[in-house]
Amino acid sequence: MAKVIGIDLGTTNSCVAIMEGGKPRVIENSEGDRTTPSIVAFTKDNEVIVGQPAKRQAVTNPQNTLFAIKRLIGRKFDDEVVQRDIKMVPYKIVRADNGDAWVEVQGKKMAPPEISARVLMKMKKTAED
Amino acid sequence: MTTTPEPTTVLPETAAQLVELERLTQALAESEERARSHWDQYLRAVADLENVRRRAARDVEAANRYGLERFVDELLPVRDSLELAVQNAGTADARSLAQGQEATLQLLSKALEKLGVTVIDPLGEPFDPARHEAMMMQASATAEPNSVLQVVQPGYELNGRLLRPARVIVARAPG
Repeated sequence: MAKVIGIDLGTTNSCVAIMEGGKPRVIENSEGDRTTPSIVAFTKDNEVIVGQPAKRQAVTNPQNTLFAIKRLIGRKFDDEVVQRDIKMVPYKIVRADNGDAWVEVQGKKMAPPEISARVLMKMKKTAED
Repeated sequence: MTTTPEPTTVLPETAAQLVELERLTQALAESEERARSHWDQYLRAVADLENVRRRAARDVEAANRYGLERFVDELLPVRDSLELAVQNAGTADARSLAQGQEATLQLLSKALEKLGVTVIDPLGEPFDPARHEAMMMQASATAEPNSVLQVVQPGYELNGRLLRPARVIVARAPG
C-alpha cells in the first residue's frame, strides 16, 4: 500500500514523518538523528553530500557547501535580503538570466530549488529505507 | 365515474415483480450480513493493530532498559577501580597511581569494546566527512592535502553507526 510521508523542509534542519495508523511518526535518518541539516556540499570528486556529513566537511570546502538555501528560493538577486546574505555566506550567490538569485558551485549556476531538491531526495530516501 | 373492481387474479407482470421483490429482499439481507461481518473483521483488525503497536512500544522500552542494564554492568568494575584509586591517592606514589589509571582506562576500553563501541582514530587517513568532523585546515608541506593532520578528539562508532565523529585538523597544500 502506498504510504503517506510528510517532509518539513527547514532553512537549517529538515525532518520527515510517515503516517502510521492515522498518526504521524518521525523517522530517524541513516545516522540515527530525527532531523537532518539542510546542507548540501559538492566535493572535488564531484560527489554530492547531504546533511550531517556535509556540515562536518564545511570548513574544508566552504565555497561549495550550501546552507540556508531556502532563504533564496523565490527571491530576486537585487532583494535586500539576498544582498545581505551575499555578504554573510562563503558560497557564491549570482544573478540568473531572469534576475533571480541563484548559486554558483564549481563554475555551475544552479537554482535554489535544485539544491533544496537534494535535501528532499535524502529525506525521501530516509522514509523509504 | 365508476371504479373498476380489484382484479382477483394476479396479473403476470405483478407476479414477476413479486418474484423480483423476493429476490432483491434476499440479496439485500445477504449484503447486509456480509457488510456486518466485514465491519466486524475491520474492528478486530484495528484493535489488533493497536495491540501490536502498544506491544512494540513496550518492547522498545524494555529493550532500552535492558540495554542500559548491560551497559551499567560493564561500567561497574570501572567505578570500583576508580574508587580504589581515590582511596589510595593519599598514600600511593605517583607511579603506581599512574599504573592504576592506565589499568582503569584499559578496563573501560575493554568494556566499551564489548558493548560494540569502536574507536575512530584516523591520523594520516584521507578526510572522510561520514566519520570525521573538520575543525580547521592547516597548511602542511609533508602531509597529503585533504588528509587528517591531527586528531583533536577521537571518534566512536556503536555497532557500525557513528556515535561521535573524530574531530580532526585537515591538511591543506601550503601556499
